[in-house]
Amino acid sequence: MTTTLNRPAAGNPAARKTAPTFRQRLNILDVKASPYLYIAPFFVLFGLVGLFPLGYTFVVSLFDWHLLKGQGEFVGLRNFGEVLQDRFFWNSLFNTVSIFLLSTIPQLVVATAIAAVLDQNLRAKTFWRMSILLPYIVTPVAVALIFTNMFGEQYGLINNILASFGVDRVMWLNETLPSHIAIATMVNWRWTGYNALILLAAMQAVPRDIYESAAIDGAGPFRRFFNITLPSIRPTMIFVVITATIGGLQIFTEPKLYDPRTAGGTARQFQTTVLYLWEMAFQRQNFGKAATIAWLLFLIIVLFGLVNWLISRRIATTGDGRSRRHRPGGWRGKSSAAPAVVLPAIGSQPPAPSREQEPSDGQTDTAGNPTTRRGQ
Amino acid sequence: MILSRRTRMITALTGTVTLALVATGCGSNSDEPASAENPVELTVTTFGNFGYDDLYAEYEEANPGVTIEATNIDGSANARTDAFTKLAAGSGLSDVVAVEEGWLGSIMEVSDQFVDLNEHGAQDIKANWVDWKFEQGTDPDGRVIGYGTDIGPQALCFNQDLFEEAGFPTDREEVAELFGGDDATWETYFDLGRQYHEATGKAWYDQSSFVWNSMVNQMEEGYYTTDGELNVEGNEAMRAKFDLLAAGTADGLSANQKQFDWGKGKAFVDGSFAVHVCPAWMLGTIKEQLESAGGGPESGWDVADVFPGGASNWGGAFLSVPESSEHPAEAAKLAAWLTAPEQQVKQSAAANNFPSTLEAQQKIVEDAVPNELFNDAPYGAIFASRAEGVVAQFKGPHDSVIQESVFAPALNMLDTGTGTADEAWDEAVKLLNDLVVNN
Repeated sequence: MTTTLNRPAAGNPAARKTAPTFRQRLNILDVKASPYLYIAPFFVLFGLVGLFPLGYTFVVSLFDWHLLKGQGEFVGLRNFGEVLQDRFFWNSLFNTVSIFLLSTIPQLVVATAIAAVLDQNLRAKTFWRMSILLPYIVTPVAVALIFTNMFGEQYGLINNILASFGVDRVMWLNETLPSHIAIATMVNWRWTGYNALILLAAMQAVPRDIYESAAIDGAGPFRRFFNITLPSIRPTMIFVVITATIGGLQIFTEPKLYDPRTAGGTARQFQTTVLYLWEMAFQRQNFGKAATIAWLLFLIIVLFGLVNWLISRRIATTGDGRSRRHRPGGWRGKSSAAPAVVLPAIGSQPPAPSREQEPSDGQTDTAGNPTTRRGQ
Repeated sequence: MILSRRTRMITALTGTVTLALVATGCGSNSDEPASAENPVELTVTTFGNFGYDDLYAEYEEANPGVTIEATNIDGSANARTDAFTKLAAGSGLSDVVAVEEGWLGSIMEVSDQFVDLNEHGAQDIKANWVDWKFEQGTDPDGRVIGYGTDIGPQALCFNQDLFEEAGFPTDREEVAELFGGDDATWETYFDLGRQYHEATGKAWYDQSSFVWNSMVNQMEEGYYTTDGELNVEGNEAMRAKFDLLAAGTADGLSANQKQFDWGKGKAFVDGSFAVHVCPAWMLGTIKEQLESAGGGPESGWDVADVFPGGASNWGGAFLSVPESSEHPAEAAKLAAWLTAPEQQVKQSAAANNFPSTLEAQQKIVEDAVPNELFNDAPYGAIFASRAEGVVAQFKGPHDSVIQESVFAPALNMLDTGTGTADEAWDEAVKLLNDLVVNN
């Protein structure tokens, strides 16, 4: 960074007088090109393992393509038409969204609550923080094995406990809603602590004096939580929501291992879209349609990303957006669908780190904000 | 200056990495006989309980220069996914791959991707196997792509304690008589089940789809006709069997257990069900289940030389050598050795399965080693007797899909009581159309 800034100063006067030497040209080129070179590895890799497969998958989706026999004839968009009329595709989409809602909503509510508790002045802080992260370290396979055992219909721990209280056994595997709850439980167990930790980091960055002045003004703990904490961690919350959405729509491991013999239950009661994709590719051996499902899922995630972005933009502008400086006017213009997906994910990341700088530069800035709000 | 030096370093690094990537892509492709001077590493992929570990060591000792790198996948379904993925990718398959009968039909569609074992002396050892097993491993063009390992002739496992409870005989020969001996029928099987259910209030079999597999496997033509046409919709004989099974399940004969899970084996020790269809390899499976649930010989399981509806074969595997193998000759040699009668006897002892070569079968019958876990049953003689009259059924390309994704869900409707026989059959036909016909 510093070198890039210094270079032009040294190079420019010389350039004005005489024709630049080869060395100087090289320097100029260096200054202009090297930033791109630095970021190139990511984009080269992304192109190789991200963009190319994406494009190639689309090509595959236009063909009759058998897993073992390979490429067949070109069928245009027929695969898309057939998959969109496929009852199992819509069933998988319903399951995915249902599991996603059952996992994300309770997870975020609980994560926020845990973060708020951890944000208090506790003894042995590190112990508590590490404890909530523990489930995240356990591999999903182990999590699935343990929970599958617990949710067993005839021999599972939970049904045994229920039975000892005289409650009817729940068909955790064979019925749709119970199986969704069981899978959502696995997801929640694994991710709640992780999200709580991210939210906690955001809460830690909220200046303490705001709370103090609010307390002096007579605001109780709940009032302080809802009127100070929540608005202040909004950007981080948006980041968490978006990552949870992308992860939730691609859920595979948990439902796959919940009944490893099938692709999402005998009657597809918990078959998510990615599992259906897997079944299509490796059991039904129809690679063309599997590629189609992959693309449709991609488009659906883009759609969700777009909705998230719109909502988050609205939230950001009604809340502390006025006083925030990292909102160049340019990107609210006619942005196409593509940046809309990428931007929320990348764009909502900076708020988290920028929070950490807050104590040094933004105290008065954010401090003023809630006060005016309360004044209104 | 500093910058450009860094750039140079990055360039150099990138170059090295690229070179390394290119280098790893290459490989030698020699197929000279292995010896101490020309060491060869052979990879083998098997699944489930194959019992090959000691044989690998024996082969390595007898053939200096050969090292065997073995992988065992937990079950046939995962082995299928593994093999299909690698076939699709065009690389990664082992030098010797175990193929299950259930998905052999899919492999046959791409049989040209496997080495014709005729080039490696298959015809010379053809007479080793029971005819139908060797034929199963031969593609329509006469290329032999797999040497048979084991077969799955079916006998009937029963639980002595539970039979006693219901007032049934417990001696395995009397039990065979009870079911009708050589003339055993599925009707008797279900009627006995109803009697048992009346006497004890418990279920007769673990779940419907194993019974169904057995019924279909013993038909002359299963899900496909011998010409490779689908043979489900409008198949009266199959529908009659389905109704028989549905009626039994509706009468409470199914314990609605989860197949290949059985509550981690607990269902085999807590009296959930009293009979179990037992292809030879199932003895190995039950052994694992009993071990996991803390059961043993005292759990009361035994195996009787009888099977409803006559001889039936379920499963069995083959060893194949893919064209992508770098050492096809050595690999074929290893496959032939592993499936030779002498080794099959050892495999059978280690994995509790039943060999597919005549000599090995005879040897096992003669040795008459009792199976301790199954009340010292002479399993060799029992399964040799059950293997008589087995006819190889044509397996189509989607046989395993039909078994797992078409009939398993329909039968599950019966087990959970969420559908009648008609509804379940209609669902199966509907699923068949969605998943196979219009795939």
